[in-house]
Amino acid sequence: MMWLSSGFIFRRGTSAYHRLDPRVKLLVSVLMFVTTLLVRTLYELAAVLLFMIALSAFATVLRRVARTMAFTALFSAFIFALNFVFTRNIETSLLYAARFVAIVVSTSLFFITTSPDELEQVMKTFRLPRDVIFAFVTAVRFIPVMFLDTIQIMDAQKSRGLELEKGNLLRRVRNMIPILIPLVVNSVVRSGELAEAMESRAYGAVPRPTSLVEYRTSLADKAVATAAVVAFALVAYSFYFVIPAQIL
Amino acid sequence: MSNILEIEWLGFRYPDSPRKAISDFDLAVPEGEIVVLAGPSGCGKSTLLRAVNGLIPHMYSGEYTGSVRVGGTNVKESSMRDLAQKVGFLFQNPENQIFMFTVERDIAFGLENLGVPRPEMRARVDEAMRLLDIGELALRAPHELSDGQKQRVALAGVLAMEPRLVILDEPTSLLDPKTASELVGLVARLRKELGTTFVVVEHRLDLLVKVADRIVVMSDGRKALEGTPAEVLFGEDAESYGVSTPSITRLQKMLAKDGLVPQGELMTTAELATSLEGGRS
Ligand SMILES: Nc1ncnc2c1ncn2[C@@H]1O[C@H](COP(=O)(O)OP(=O)(O)OP(=O)(O)O)[C@@H](O)[C@H]1O
Ligand SMILES: [Mg+2]
Repeated sequence: MMWLSSGFIFRRGTSAYHRLDPRVKLLVSVLMFVTTLLVRTLYELAAVLLFMIALSAFATVLRRVARTMAFTALFSAFIFALNFVFTRNIETSLLYAARFVAIVVSTSLFFITTSPDELEQVMKTFRLPRDVIFAFVTAVRFIPVMFLDTIQIMDAQKSRGLELEKGNLLRRVRNMIPILIPLVVNSVVRSGELAEAMESRAYGAVPRPTSLVEYRTSLADKAVATAAVVAFALVAYSFYFVIPAQIL
Repeated sequence: MSNILEIEWLGFRYPDSPRKAISDFDLAVPEGEIVVLAGPSGCGKSTLLRAVNGLIPHMYSGEYTGSVRVGGTNVKESSMRDLAQKVGFLFQNPENQIFMFTVERDIAFGLENLGVPRPEMRARVDEAMRLLDIGELALRAPHELSDGQKQRVALAGVLAMEPRLVILDEPTSLLDPKTASELVGLVARLRKELGTTFVVVEHRLDLLVKVADRIVVMSDGRKALEGTPAEVLFGEDAESYGVSTPSITRLQKMLAKDGLVPQGELMTTAELATSLEGGRS
């Protein structure tokens, strides 16, 4: 839970990277993602990771990305062990393990530099139905609220003598029930109230609602997008035609 | 002056409910008034507000009789889209009516839904933020706001749609006394600046008596009392309907009984003191 929140939840930033059009940031992350899949040797992967670290530093989120990497390391150790058991090849196993880290970093770099508002904008460009986008928006919007709710309910139940940290696993899971039920009830009440408030503010009145903020693609956005595509093309080309894998 | 709200013989029963939540309800509200709706829990205040903005019958089905007119048009025959622009509804819990990630986007929510063009929307959102003095919160996320600020943001979202009638359901119940009295001051100011009509469901009469033109007391889905704050609060019946008279008014009532102060108008603590001193000298 914690690594998720630190590695994927947006916090406001002012770097030039933050200010890019969200679609450009998505493009960069997708291209990095694909590159990690194309990579065949540890050296190539190291180069890709190095680039991601440099980019994180540029976006002033290096510390959070580093934390994500540290947490991912646990999973990748597991991936390494599993691969090693089956392939008995240290290099291949390392490659898979490191690739996992790279994939997580490329994804998290997008999420930690893109505000929910911008995510909504990205979804709009993909022409997702308004209801789907709105469901996503409210879900993300209410994450902190639900989080607070949970803490309050836990405190309330603890003060009534509920012992969360006691007993075996089954017992602990059962102890969660007094937390979950009020949480579910709260959410049901909340969705009812949300529905009323939506109706009262003309939700769904016109098929194509307008938007207060306009995301204009700037020259910088176009330049970064072009550079990313060209760099990706060159890297992919060199992987397969210029530098044979054996040399590296 | 014409009536912005006319309720005639309204009756409503929720489906699967044995009793009517509203019965034989009549009310006419002239444009520009502040009306307070009071009454014990479960007497149908929230239900009445739903019937005013059209959630009843458009979202809640049920047995519906009589009529509700807003600005001359029958609520039952209007669409939620039209009603949303006529009646603004501030719900009890501001948290559950803020949808977007930033304050300004949330204030724009209703206008976006109506397809208002961006420049006009920008102007209306800025104006709503100016009215509620929340300009510096424009880019904040909802979870970065205090309860009082959330309440203002929610109200701004309602006002941006420029309704002539705003209904508020226990708007101060989650606020501390100071923020609550600020909100009441805000309502009075908006009525003055915009001429908006307000119907406020409220238990804390002490805050509202000063600005209200009228108090309506409900009991069991019916209208029990109606009158100016002085008429209702000096009357004998208010307390029996569970309306808590402000303590200063109770004091004035007691003193007036002994002929120490006049009873005609509601007095503030200061006025009461002055009146007593005047009586003594
Ligand atoms: N959605 C609903 N479905 C069925 N019955 C309802 C619903 N909402 C309210 N009621 C019932 O209608 C009656 C009036 O409720 P309403 O919420 O309007 O009261 P209220 O005066 O607003 O009370 P409170 O001061 O507690 O908010 C109550 O008996 C309540 O149980
Ligand atoms: Mg109510």
